[in-house]
Amino acid sequence: MIATNIRRLGVYLMLAFAVVSGSITWWQVVEAHSLSTRPDNPEVLAARRSLLRGTIFDAEGQVLASSEVIDGLSRRTYTDPAMTHVLGYSSLRFGSTGLERTFEDILVGQTDPNPIRDLVSDVLARQPEPRDLTLTIDRRLQDFAAAQLGADAGAVVAIDPRTGAVLAMVSTPTFDATPISGDPDGAQEPMDALRNDPAEPLLARARQGLYVPGSILKVFTAAAALDAGVISPDTTYPDQPREEREGFVVDGFTIREHDLGGIEPALWPLSEALQVSSNIFFAHVGLELGAERFLEYARRFGFCGPIRMGPPERALSVTPSLVTGSLDGDCGPFSGDVDLASASFGQGQAAVTPVQMALLAAAIAGDGVMPDPYVVRDVRAHADGDAPADEILDSFGSGGGTRVVSAEAAAATRGGMVDAVNGELGRLYAGQGDITLYGISDARSAGKTGTAQLGGEQAPHSWFIGFAPAQEEATPRIAVAVLVESGGSGSDGAAPIAGRVMAEWLRLSGGD
Amino acid sequence: MTGEILRVLLLGLQLGFVALLYLVLMRFAGSLLRDLRSAEEAQMSSRSGIGRLSVLESPADEPPNGTTIALGPINSIGRNVNNTIFVEDDFVSANHAMLTFRGRSWFVEDQGSTNGTYVNGHRIDRPVALSFGDELSIGRVRMRLDR
Amino acid sequence: MIGSRSRIAWRGAEFRLLFPILLLVPLGFVITNIALAGAPEVGDLTLAVGYVLLFAGAHLLLVVLGHRGDQLILPAVGAMGGVGMIMLNRLPQDLAGTSAFGLELGMAATQLLWFGVGIIAMLAIAVGLRDDGILRHYKYSWAAVGIALLAATLVLGYEVNGARLWIDLGPVSVQPGELLKIVLVIFIAGYLAETRTLLTSASVRIGFLSVPPLPYFLPMLALFGVVMLIVVRLNDLGTALLFFGIFLTMLFVATGRRSYVLIGLVLFVAGSFVAYRLFGHVQARVDVWLDPFADPLGAGFQPVRAIYALGRGGIFGEGLGQGLVTLGGNLTIPFVHTDFIFTAIAEELGLLGAFALLGFAMVLVFRGLRIAALARDDFGALLAVGVTTSLGLQTLIIIGGNTKLIPLTGITLPFVSYGGSSILASFIMIGLLLAVSHRSGTADRASGS
Repeated sequence: MIATNIRRLGVYLMLAFAVVSGSITWWQVVEAHSLSTRPDNPEVLAARRSLLRGTIFDAEGQVLASSEVIDGLSRRTYTDPAMTHVLGYSSLRFGSTGLERTFEDILVGQTDPNPIRDLVSDVLARQPEPRDLTLTIDRRLQDFAAAQLGADAGAVVAIDPRTGAVLAMVSTPTFDATPISGDPDGAQEPMDALRNDPAEPLLARARQGLYVPGSILKVFTAAAALDAGVISPDTTYPDQPREEREGFVVDGFTIREHDLGGIEPALWPLSEALQVSSNIFFAHVGLELGAERFLEYARRFGFCGPIRMGPPERALSVTPSLVTGSLDGDCGPFSGDVDLASASFGQGQAAVTPVQMALLAAAIAGDGVMPDPYVVRDVRAHADGDAPADEILDSFGSGGGTRVVSAEAAAATRGGMVDAVNGELGRLYAGQGDITLYGISDARSAGKTGTAQLGGEQAPHSWFIGFAPAQEEATPRIAVAVLVESGGSGSDGAAPIAGRVMAEWLRLSGGD
Repeated sequence: MTGEILRVLLLGLQLGFVALLYLVLMRFAGSLLRDLRSAEEAQMSSRSGIGRLSVLESPADEPPNGTTIALGPINSIGRNVNNTIFVEDDFVSANHAMLTFRGRSWFVEDQGSTNGTYVNGHRIDRPVALSFGDELSIGRVRMRLDR
Repeated sequence: MIGSRSRIAWRGAEFRLLFPILLLVPLGFVITNIALAGAPEVGDLTLAVGYVLLFAGAHLLLVVLGHRGDQLILPAVGAMGGVGMIMLNRLPQDLAGTSAFGLELGMAATQLLWFGVGIIAMLAIAVGLRDDGILRHYKYSWAAVGIALLAATLVLGYEVNGARLWIDLGPVSVQPGELLKIVLVIFIAGYLAETRTLLTSASVRIGFLSVPPLPYFLPMLALFGVVMLIVVRLNDLGTALLFFGIFLTMLFVATGRRSYVLIGLVLFVAGSFVAYRLFGHVQARVDVWLDPFADPLGAGFQPVRAIYALGRGGIFGEGLGQGLVTLGGNLTIPFVHTDFIFTAIAEELGLLGAFALLGFAMVLVFRGLRIAALARDDFGALLAVGVTTSLGLQTLIIIGGNTKLIPLTGITLPFVSYGGSSILASFIMIGLLLAVSHRSGTADRASGS
């Protein structure tokens, strides 16, 4: 009888062995291929150690990053620290970040292995072919913008509103990635220094920094309300002039105007409200728009979720911008009308990235179509020298963008932004912040300053978003967002930088 | 180019190694099959009995030491020669114990002996089921129930 | 039966099988040496020769001493151990080792030393254990030894990777759990051999389930419960799973009752669930198992790396000595010599090699079951079943863990993983199998003549 049971046990064990064989086969045959392409596969990591990486060029064919193999170790050299937060780094010790990570397999030209490879290509010792990347970023503009920020912490994002091509994306402070990408043994010390630096140079502020937007968000509120038909360019609020002085009571909480710099309150329509940056006016607009529609427009503009810069699987990640407290990576509901009214003029719980703000400016500049941003223009065969090869293997272009508001709503908002920079009240309010385009004849810019109040003794963050050329009939060629951490008022810190960056681009790109 | 030659050499050696592995495995399979066949035959021939007693210790050598006794379904054990299993020992009663096969298992029952019947060293006071391999002590005689 | 001890028994099948295996090991050493040196040099074959001599010596001794036990077991062990030795010799030698008796021994050398100790133990048991009375009649003493071993671990043990399994004995550290396994098998075999008729004939029905009669059941259940409690307390989940599997299997073989196994499994699932809710480390293990890629650089590091290693191996393997064992001076899988030795083998020998290794393990398991079926008595049969189940389940649990079939547990692959206690315990179990099969072998002969 025991013998019978043993025979049965044998059958069970046989089944167990069969199942285990199946699971081995699963990984070694069925999944082997997809495993081999994952970026944290040690095989991929190991290959990267010795494989030549492709060169990365800027839009004008300047070398930004190049590799050479020394003693069997692939070492990366970066030519421009201003580019670090776009390119990332490719370290033998710390892995890779930025474009180096998202375009990893293309840069090293990793070929997909298959079972036969083990027998054949091992013998042939075929080396994968590296590929080069060309960016949309122009190094000249990038360096110019970085120089404008100087020693301040902040970010400049410049986008071509017609295509979504990123022209510059600077985060400061930055660092030279070459030391941590070279000799793996020598990489630890510089990396530790970067990690311990209180200025946080490892943070790519343009994409990953979340800041209170302040008044620049009024551009969004205006465009949304115009598109929804809640306001027209002529809408005014009768109680507004009184409330400018006494405060606007919402749910028992008094919303007060900021310092208008001596300008006497009056019954202001949209253009004037933008010029003096009236909080009270936009609190009314936001409340009239209502929480539901406010959030709906926010999502349309790309808030409340991650933004993809580039083709889906190779996109640079951008931290989601928020207008309310976050809820599982989405915008949560507003806690009440005070919250909604505050968000309408850019305070409250709103927190945004410079990239998101540049896209907001680009959407207005683009007649209501928000472009799909991208950083890498094309993939080319590896060039031996310092000039990119002619052979283009793959190219990425404009995704066509998304219409977020009607052309009419965009045009009305644009008018307000032009006035905010050039109008009588605008110049009065902005004081010395003259941001006409220095040295560029008869081209005009449009924009909006922001002063993000942080509370307490902290100096406010200085913001500016805008685009140029913005005179009537002109098609804007550049939309920018500038953030200067603790840079004071928008007109003091960010606006002059934005003006110079836009002027520089118009000069570089050949128009005036 | 030595690198290429080395790779070819290693590939060849590796294939040889794996081939050898599977050769061994085939030989195992062969041996397994052979044994399976002989085991079948062995089982056929040994299926005849329901069990047997191996004599482990027998001071008077009756039953003889080291022999095995084929068992029927009912076996009486004692010093009386009329018993199925005759045991020559001063400590064994005339009709000492009964060893019976009931259905699926073996049972032993003491027949009121003077010195008792022991299974695996424990004295029994009622019919007890036996497993193959159990040791039966009657007087000074030790026997084991085997298949 | 008497006198068979002195007669020489030619073990032809064993010789025919051992011969190619003993060629295999030096060949493997040569391949790895060439691959690692990057030059066609044969390299140092001392350990390979040592391994060959150990098994050849064991074979000769069995022949001379007239052992009539199974002839496939030793070659199967030799094949598994051989593949393991090739791999251990190829890994960085400073992963483990001993510095005893004034000698500095690397990992492979230490492993070979343990093979020597194990083979001696195996031979002593296979030849010396002519009467199993000492095992079956003193089962409670064995149980006491087992409890003592556990208690010693609980008091004296020190932790490695969160599980307190090791006792430091001067030059060597031992894992009492490995030896406890054997003691437990002996106890259960002894207990079930004695009570199995009662357990099968008398049973209480509750609803549609037949429940074992408690009075006969309780002593074993109590002992087993104590063992499980302590093992779980020691954080040794793999061993707990193994013990439970052995227990249920032996119970099934002894009684033939599927319901007992079913009750056991239900209890196990319930217990696992409770453990999952109560213990953070259990929960962490399970979560890593469900999605190792969630934290590929933290908790999921080793499982993820193991899966990658399997994928790299593919069907034909990366080639002996050509696997990606280290990356920039760091091991790609830190526990490659113990918990993940199988993935290293599967990486370098591919699916072909992995299946061959699994094949050897299956030979071992099915021969073990055959020995059990042919055993002359119930105790021998149950002992063989227990020992075989232990070796087989260990293989299944660790390979299943390596391939993410079940949560990973720190259990060794018998004869392949590095580890003295495991090697010694596995060889003792082989010794028991040989002893059981020797006795049925002589009995067959006696009945045949």
